[in-house]
Amino acid sequence: MIEERVVLLDGAMGSLLINQGLPPGTPPDMWNISKPEIVQKVHQGYFNAGSDVVLTNTFGSSGLKLMAHKHGSRIEDYNVKAVENVRKVCPEEGYIAGDIGPSGVFLPPVGHGTIKAFEENFFEQAEILAKAGVDLFFIETMIDLKEAEAAVKAAKQVSKVPVFASISYQKTKRGYFTIMGNSVEECVSSLQDLGVDAVGANCTISSNEMIDLISEIRQFTDLPIIAKPNAGKPQLVEGKTIYQTTAVDFAKDIKQMVENGARIVGGCCGSNPEFIEEINHLIKR
Amino acid sequence: MSFPEKCKEAILAGDINLSKNLAQETVTNNLDINAAIDAFSLAIREAGNLFEEGEFFLPELMRSAEAMKAAMAVFEPIISEGKESRSLGRVVIGTIEGDIHDIGKTLVASMLSAEGFDVHDLGADVPISTFIDKALEINADIICISALLTTTMIGQKRLIDTLKEKNIRDKFKVLIGGAPVSKQWTEEIGADGTAENAVSAVKLAKNLLAL
Repeated sequence: MIEERVVLLDGAMGSLLINQGLPPGTPPDMWNISKPEIVQKVHQGYFNAGSDVVLTNTFGSSGLKLMAHKHGSRIEDYNVKAVENVRKVCPEEGYIAGDIGPSGVFLPPVGHGTIKAFEENFFEQAEILAKAGVDLFFIETMIDLKEAEAAVKAAKQVSKVPVFASISYQKTKRGYFTIMGNSVEECVSSLQDLGVDAVGANCTISSNEMIDLISEIRQFTDLPIIAKPNAGKPQLVEGKTIYQTTAVDFAKDIKQMVENGARIVGGCCGSNPEFIEEINHLIKR
Repeated sequence: MSFPEKCKEAILAGDINLSKNLAQETVTNNLDINAAIDAFSLAIREAGNLFEEGEFFLPELMRSAEAMKAAMAVFEPIISEGKESRSLGRVVIGTIEGDIHDIGKTLVASMLSAEGFDVHDLGADVPISTFIDKALEINADIICISALLTTTMIGQKRLIDTLKEKNIRDKFKVLIGGAPVSKQWTEEIGADGTAENAVSAVKLAKNLLAL
């Protein structure tokens, strides 16, 4: 499908659940079990808007991350239920992507994590997601290349389904880097060498800031490129979280990214089905 | 290489042993400790500048801060024997209850501590009452409260409101931080300031205490 046309991902999950009453600080993944109907409704909204691929609500469902929220023992429940929640609303031509986010643990000197702990952490989650029947893995928002590598290796080890890997870059005075200092070239080359099926970027920066980043990624790979920016920076206005970028402007930026080489596009924080619909409309696939 | 150059090398390389040895050398040879601390301080500021310029990233800055702390730990017992404390001020810092993001907060804590503040890091997911109890206990000058989520940011307002209710708002400067924190939010809730990054946070803390 990627060869034929631009593939449309979904948009944000957490912020939509918060709008539905998810209490502050509660991991959105909890609602896979306690409020599955709301999670399914969000997934449904994205499929209706034109998403080809919808991500499971498992961004924070790895063992290390759940442990930080004191939900460590429920890892299997959270992940299995999450896959079911997408499957329930997934149309025949739709795809279920097993979402894997960062562990929240850092390697020294920032934290006390180890590569081995990363590998075990992601192996555990990926194995559950694979068994539950995801069509592909979507590893995202990684700010440390070493952690991303551990996740990719784990996903490759447990299954033969495609692995998409997306890094979170910030824009510095010297260009795009992860917060740990990994350059675009370093990330793209390393992930490519590990055999990922698509590479790209998501979160941290807004859509207008991601346009040039996509061109830079293109210089280092012929793999399909993922672009999943934020809808601007969040602001708290009268108790409500507002993101600055409108769906129309966002879609225009995405169109530019497609021209710069992006092939798999969607939205991160602050986006919603309206954004996906707008992209779908604008790039007229 | 001059002593300040060696300090700079140790701090920028994040070389904890070298920086400890240089500090020890100063003490053993009865050299001017204040001049040595100034040399180290210049070096850590240089690390901060490199971070702001995109030359240094999180790991490098953390290493530099650790090397700085190692040097300061050598000077600490000698300074405390003297009459005048070198501590720039006492800081209580933490991430608000319900929020487990602590990378930014930890970096600010490290930089403040490296620059000579006496920092009490309460960690992440910290209730408001714990911030206040600790601040009162150590007679803090500054409370730094971090939130990465717009949903938990509201806790920053609650902290300030609670300080007002207890009639102790004026006892502390309150600095707020986190990706979604804006100048507008800072003004709206009546905080004393916010900064773009850890390096600016140190400058702000010093300005607020008129250092």
